Amino acid sequence: MNFLAASIESLGAKVVGWFTVAYGMFAFLAKAGMLLLDRTTWNRATFDVVIKQVYFTAVQILHVFLAYALVISWLIITIILSTARDFGLTEFASEMTIRVLVLELLPFLTALFIALRSGSAINTEVALMQVNNELDALAHCKVPPMQFEFLPRLIGGVISVVTLAGLAGLIALLQGYLSIYGISAAGFEPYTRTIAKIFDFQIMAGLIAKCALFGLAVTLIPVTAGLETPKKLFMVPVSVLRGMMRVFFAIVAIEVVSLALKYI
Amino acid sequence: MNKLHFKVGLFTAASLLLAGIFVVYLLHARGFFEKTFHLQLAAASADGVAPGVPVVFSGIEIGRVTTLGLNDDGGIIIRAEFLERNAKWLKETSTFTLDKPFVGGAKIRVDSPDLDAPALPDNSTMLLLTSDISKEIPALVERVKAILANVEHLTRKDGEINATLANVQTVTGRMTGEYGMLEGVLGSPEKARAVTDSLDKTRALITKLDAMTAKTDQWLFAQDGMAEQTRASLAQVRLMLDDAQSSLKKADALMANAVEISADVKEGTQDIVKLRAEIDDAVRKANALVNEINKKWPFARDPEVKLP
Repeated sequence: MNFLAASIESLGAKVVGWFTVAYGMFAFLAKAGMLLLDRTTWNRATFDVVIKQVYFTAVQILHVFLAYALVISWLIITIILSTARDFGLTEFASEMTIRVLVLELLPFLTALFIALRSGSAINTEVALMQVNNELDALAHCKVPPMQFEFLPRLIGGVISVVTLAGLAGLIALLQGYLSIYGISAAGFEPYTRTIAKIFDFQIMAGLIAKCALFGLAVTLIPVTAGLETPKKLFMVPVSVLRGMMRVFFAIVAIEVVSLALKYI
Repeated sequence: MNKLHFKVGLFTAASLLLAGIFVVYLLHARGFFEKTFHLQLAAASADGVAPGVPVVFSGIEIGRVTTLGLNDDGGIIIRAEFLERNAKWLKETSTFTLDKPFVGGAKIRVDSPDLDAPALPDNSTMLLLTSDISKEIPALVERVKAILANVEHLTRKDGEINATLANVQTVTGRMTGEYGMLEGVLGSPEKARAVTDSLDKTRALITKLDAMTAKTDQWLFAQDGMAEQTRASLAQVRLMLDDAQSSLKKADALMANAVEISADVKEGTQDIVKLRAEIDDAVRKANALVNEINKKWPFARDPEVKLP
């Protein structure tokens, strides 16, 4: 009986913990959103930090990312094409390629890429700032951390994931065309027809929304996880660990929900 | 110049440019810059048709069903939309068939047998035919059943096919013998040997015939051969015939004289003697000629020429 009560209690504690985290996250998001609507936020200083964030999150890694997208696309396209040929389903190969790569896999991998590189860095930085009381110091100097530290990171993350996923998608479209039809204009008409069939307004809007949510997840979650850190240095790795796990689950959840909305 | 700002600016500009190009391309692909062509299809049943069902021409999707509805008479009106560039395949002679395959969704098939026919005007109404495989299945099953019964009857134990196969086996068994196919056809090696023997003899005969033909050829057509001689004889015959002809002409003239003369016999006794000699001469020549010809040619066996 005691054991049962203990396990129920621990379950309750976990659920309460999840709710607290979720509430903290959404409260933070709401605060950021409110700040975004405030006219005073849109000044030169904030804009500069946003540009810096975009530079560090997207531009700095552009060549590495594009090479990575190229290799992954080439692999997946080759696998899909040869399998389709084996089963005599070549006419579906182009549609399959576009659906798998451009709509699902590349946005997902882009989000993971940004999460691993920038998300973990943001989490560590915010956690260290929290432990070292830097945030309080900033606030004291009339430099609100929300406006100059967190909001630019969120905006930069969203812009970066949307742009990088879009670029990777365009590369995959081009590569798919080259793999199926070779260097000739002969396949332009049927390929255009396939693209027109897949990308209707709903799909495009869903794709952009999904990428934006990915971008938000890979920056918002590390920031809130960092802010949660108790003011002890040894808690920083724990905070990063928790934050990254949450980012991973959030990315998977967004992907699953988007798939469910699309196909169910 | 701020290098960081420049890079971010370049990145943003390039991304926006690519995004813009892609959006324009997508709008073009989806026919945003084109007019839409509408078509109404009247059908007896809308079973299996739903908004989004493709309209295909030669296996390529050219349009989609947009709405379904009933008209005032309870008939079904299916509305389909096409892009302007695809509407050119719709002709006044086109037929529209609703295909419901076993596997895969329903589709409306367009067949345009005459591509030179006038194009279908916008918003026109056409008839939708139905080719429903599932309705043909019971009839098909009945026929297949009958065929299977026949096959079963043919292949039963001690049936015709079995007997035939046994015969074929015997024949092919013989065919593996010394005389192969011949033995298979004739039934035993002895008979087959007789046939090969006669074939050998025939071969010998043909060799002999060959030699004979060569000789005959020599005899007939060589220099001084039969053919040459015959030609010479024929020339002679021509000469003799000419001779005879001239003699007979003379005789003719004499006969004419004779008619005149006979009126006055007394005065012409000398003429008659002369005439008699001429006629005799002609008849002799003719006789000689006929004899000569007879010697060379197998004419009628009557060399006498009767005197008039």
